[in-house]
Amino acid sequence: MSGGAPLILIERDAALPLIHGGICTRSGAGDDPVGLEGLTRLCGRLMRRTAGGHGADEVDARIDRMGASLGLDSGHGSTALSGSVLERSFGDFMGLLEEILTAPGLHEQELERLKRETLAELIEILDSDQQLAQRWFLRSLFAGHSYGRTVIGTQDSLAAIQVADVRRCYERHFTRENLLFSFAGAVDLDQAARAVESIWAALPPGGGRASDPPPEPVAAGGRRLIFVDKPERTQTQILIGGLGAHPNDQDYFPLLVANTVFGGTFTARLTHEVRAKRGWSYGAYSSLGYDRRRQAFSMWTFPKAEDAAPCIALELEMLSEWWERGVTEQELGWSKRYLAQSQAFSCDTAAKRVGMKLDEILSDLPAGHHDEFVARVSAVTLEETNRAIQNRISLDHLTVVVVGTHDLIGDGVREAIPKLGSDRIVPFDTE
Amino acid sequence: MQTAISSSSSLSALTRRLNEGCEANRAVHYLGYSPFGPALRIERFRMGNGLSILLVEEHAAPTVAYHTWFRVGSRNESPGKTGIAHLFEHLMFNETEALAAGEFDRQLEELGAESNASTWLDWTHYDIAVPSSAFERVAELEAERMDHLVLRTPQVESEKEVVMNERRYRVEDDVEGALSELLWSTAFEKHPYHWPTIGWMVDIEGFNVEDCQKFYRTYYAPNNATLVIIGDVEPERVLTKLQLAYGAYPAVPILDQAIPPEPEQLAEKRLEVTKLTPTWKLNIGYHSPALEHPDHLPFSVLSEVLFGGRSSRLVKALVRDREIASDVRASLSPLRDPGLFEIFVSARESVEAEELLLVVDQELDRVRVDPITEDELTRAKARIELGLLQGLTNNEGKASTIGFYEVVLGNPAAGFERLAALSEIRVEQLSDVARRYLKQSSRTVISVRPQSESGGPDDDDVDDSAATNAEAGGPSA
Repeated sequence: MSGGAPLILIERDAALPLIHGGICTRSGAGDDPVGLEGLTRLCGRLMRRTAGGHGADEVDARIDRMGASLGLDSGHGSTALSGSVLERSFGDFMGLLEEILTAPGLHEQELERLKRETLAELIEILDSDQQLAQRWFLRSLFAGHSYGRTVIGTQDSLAAIQVADVRRCYERHFTRENLLFSFAGAVDLDQAARAVESIWAALPPGGGRASDPPPEPVAAGGRRLIFVDKPERTQTQILIGGLGAHPNDQDYFPLLVANTVFGGTFTARLTHEVRAKRGWSYGAYSSLGYDRRRQAFSMWTFPKAEDAAPCIALELEMLSEWWERGVTEQELGWSKRYLAQSQAFSCDTAAKRVGMKLDEILSDLPAGHHDEFVARVSAVTLEETNRAIQNRISLDHLTVVVVGTHDLIGDGVREAIPKLGSDRIVPFDTE
Repeated sequence: MQTAISSSSSLSALTRRLNEGCEANRAVHYLGYSPFGPALRIERFRMGNGLSILLVEEHAAPTVAYHTWFRVGSRNESPGKTGIAHLFEHLMFNETEALAAGEFDRQLEELGAESNASTWLDWTHYDIAVPSSAFERVAELEAERMDHLVLRTPQVESEKEVVMNERRYRVEDDVEGALSELLWSTAFEKHPYHWPTIGWMVDIEGFNVEDCQKFYRTYYAPNNATLVIIGDVEPERVLTKLQLAYGAYPAVPILDQAIPPEPEQLAEKRLEVTKLTPTWKLNIGYHSPALEHPDHLPFSVLSEVLFGGRSSRLVKALVRDREIASDVRASLSPLRDPGLFEIFVSARESVEAEELLLVVDQELDRVRVDPITEDELTRAKARIELGLLQGLTNNEGKASTIGFYEVVLGNPAAGFERLAALSEIRVEQLSDVARRYLKQSSRTVISVRPQSESGGPDDDDVDDSAATNAEAGGPSA
């Protein structure tokens, strides 16, 4: 990027006549103005549909004719327009990308249609208990922080978005220095470079990355229960967690190893106790996420309604034990070997390797984060691991989200959470 | 990527050498190869005990995909015992004679392996991805559970609970899952595709150790299995290890089960159910040809023309032009026996299923009469080509594709062969397929009424009063 040249991440692998790639902005929905949530996602989708001033039907037919897919993935810190294309159509694919990025029509009629489609998506989400749990977990854990804001928007925010807002959003995010280009597969390196240069020349300079990282999220609020009340559920969706760690944090790799012991694999403590021993839930896992800042540490289970309260009680007991006693030397060794060995599958294709480089830039990771992954994992000690759990996981500040039928299990769930500070019941169709 | 290293003559010589002095059960025989795309080839071997081995050398990454396919699925079950193939898939990760419960997964994870399994109507599939350095240990673990699984009451009971929870997750509390199950159980009355692979809840509850032991000894045998091994390994290393790991297992007689064919459906079946969902849903199933049937490929192309992507006829009509649907999809089942062409539509608010059905019918009428354009055909073919290639980007994807076509068609390279045959497909064939298969009399239509609009009937209420020749889905007697 320095010196005014576009940043292209590229790896050629001609085993298949297929190319993966696209563009990515280094800013995202976290920058949506208050009251205009969903703007960046709408903007990206509208750009795709009105590429070069054409109509959406024409663009869609063109993509299919190429043997291509091109989708939009909108996150808090980035927006990606990416997909796959048959090798023989790569030139056309790049031509389309250029039209999307440099000459989108942003037609009002298509915007209104897109808003109506998005409203329909919001309604469809009500069918998915898992998505409802995720929505309320992030909203509660990151209340007041951009990570708690919706990327897709709300009924009110979508109604408020006008073409002028979309145009401002386009001008803010789609500038030279805010874009990354990435390609993997049977790509002709010279052809890709020429096409990117052509796009770059037509874009306005932006003076750097379009947004700063959001503030560091803060653990707060005590132990909170959000019960998402949905009638006639035979099963519950349960998410329990708090803040995790970021790879820039010295506790990250030790906590990653600790999480692998706790709930990161099929034989981890959580899966063993919840699924293998008791048969309570088809899945039982914990995970550690990151963005430009630390994201959530969370436990996910989905037991039948009658088992929800004992399952929550068990998870909280296990979490306390993990926090207080840490992991054993034996568990540590096993976890490190698993993480080191399985890293082979994180980088076994050109597309994944390019994706790792992209991740390092977008998430502000330390340089070489993925290349040094195995060495960093291998160097983790027992003392660091157990200290990281206590440094980064809070037993006092926990968000518990349950999607289920409150009349059936609400009281039991509440009693299963010691030191519960606050609880709230929300109807499942609350926006 | 390097191309395949071994030649047919060297592989024949290799097997002769490996078979010197070994008993007939353990001997491996080289049966030839099939090209797999422009650069790879699938080498086929069979062990004396009937175990099929498909091997692809692929040295692009230091990994191996080790997949085991058994030719048993829910088609092999019987009423009252539905879901045992799937329950058994779960049990295969449990105790063996040499490994305590949980040890199988623990050892795999320590090797850095990723493992999973799946069961469907025609097959059961176990897949392991592992660093190539651990190939030998994976072969030992897979061979161990093929013949030395230990089945005890605590594990069976615990796994039944897990599967019942899986069923709640995928069916009971999932509108689409419940809808699809009802569609198949209504469309099929005689054939085992009538019941869901996960099984009826009442059947899952009833399984015991004896049921599981009987199933294991009937279907889990080397001569009912195919190993698909792809990755950074050489034939001699693979075959030597497989002879050691599997060679002692005898072939067993595999029941040649008579599967009752589904009689031709002569009248449309319709059902309406009420569920807690914000909008109407519509699921339509047309009886469709088996994967091996010559009509299957043109039907796949037709499906793309009608439902593949945003520029397809139905998505355009329902989502873009009329804005009466939020989601429109279709799939053509790739099965050993005739299956279903399944259409799913989710309505926008205040739009009823009848309105969706009217537009679907208009478009299907049109495709029977008006020719499909060359441009539509070109787009559909390009989408199918893209879809195949996207599934082959790593060893796991290749092994899944090869194994699937092997167990369903007996031809591991059929994926690329179908791709080559695509160029010969003409628009007239698509119209012909539409006329012969998209008949109102041979379809089943299930609609879901949102509970809030129903005036209060209970969830899962079935109203077949409007149905002709309809049969509500559910456990068979």
